[in-house]
Amino acid sequence: MKDQLDDFIQKNRSGFDDKEPSEKVWKNIESSLAFGTKRGWNAVVWWRAAAIIFMALSGYLLIPKEATKLQTSELAANEFNDVEAFYVQQISEKVELIDGFQKNEGLNGFTQDFKQLEAMYMILKEEMKSRPTEKVKDALVLNLLVRINLLNQQLYKLDQEYDKKEKKEKEV
Amino acid sequence: MFNVGYRITRSEADAEDVLQEAFISAFRNLDSYRGDATFGAWLKRIVVNKALNALNKKKHESIPDDDEQWDIAVEESTTEYREDLTIERVKQGIEKLPDGYRTVLSLYLLEGYDHQEIGEILGISESTSKSQLNRAKGKLKELLRA
Repeated sequence: MKDQLDDFIQKNRSGFDDKEPSEKVWKNIESSLAFGTKRGWNAVVWWRAAAIIFMALSGYLLIPKEATKLQTSELAANEFNDVEAFYVQQISEKVELIDGFQKNEGLNGFTQDFKQLEAMYMILKEEMKSRPTEKVKDALVLNLLVRINLLNQQLYKLDQEYDKKEKKEKEV
Repeated sequence: MFNVGYRITRSEADAEDVLQEAFISAFRNLDSYRGDATFGAWLKRIVVNKALNALNKKKHESIPDDDEQWDIAVEESTTEYREDLTIERVKQGIEKLPDGYRTVLSLYLLEGYDHQEIGEILGISESTSKSQLNRAKGKLKELLRA
C-alpha cells in the first residue's frame, strides 16, 4: 500500500544518501586490515576482500565533490589507455581459461564479485570520460589489478581441483 | 553504507565507528559469507546490525525514551501531506522520530528491507513491523506539519 511518502522517497532516493564519512575511516580500515589476517596474501578470500574495499572506495570516489578542481585530464586519460589495453587483454585471456574450466559451476561468490567489479569498472570508465582525474584513473587501475588477481587465484584453485580429479581417475 | 548507519544512530561519529567496524568485521569473517545474498547486501546487513548495537548501547546510557507514548492509533489510509515534501524536511522529520519508529521506517522505506527481514533484524514479528511502520508514518506526518 504505497502512498505519497513512499513515492517521494523512491523518486528522490539518492538525495537521502548525501553524507560522507571522513578520510580517517578508510585509513583506519586500511591499517586494521594490514595487521589483521592470518591467511597468506595468496588466498582468494583476501582478494575478494580487497575487491570489496575497492568497491567501497570507488563508491566514495564517485560522490561528486563540489570544490574539487579537475586535474590533468588528457595526460591521465592517455596514460591510462595504455595500461588498460594491457590489463584488459590479460583479463579476457584468464576469463576464457576459467570459463573453460568451470562450465558447470553455478553462480558462486567468485562470479558475483567479479560481476560487481566489472559493473564498478564500467561506472568508473564513464566517470573517467566526464571527469578524468588521477584518482579515478587509480581506481580503474586498481580495479583491473584486483580482477586479475582474483582470476589468478580462481585459476590456481581450479588447477588444483583439476589435478586432484586427474589423480583420482588414475587410481581407478 | 555510511548513510545507512547514520540514519539509525543519528550521529556522524557513531556512524563512522560503525562503518569502520563493519568493514573490518566483514573482512575478518569472510569465511562466513555464504554467497546467498550479494556481497553488498551482506555487508549492509553487518552495518545495520552494528548500528543497532551502537544505538542500543546509547539508549541504556541515557534516560529511557518514552517511545511507548507515541502509540497513537493511525488508520491505514493514504496519508496526505499538507505542505510540499522536500528531501530536507523529510530527512529532518525522520531524524526527529523516536528510535523504534525511525529504525523501522528507515529500514523499510530507505534501506529496502521487507517486513520479514525487518522482523529478523529487530527481533520482532512481521505484523509488529507493519504496524510500527504505519505508526511511524503517522508520526512523521505530524512532524512534517510543524
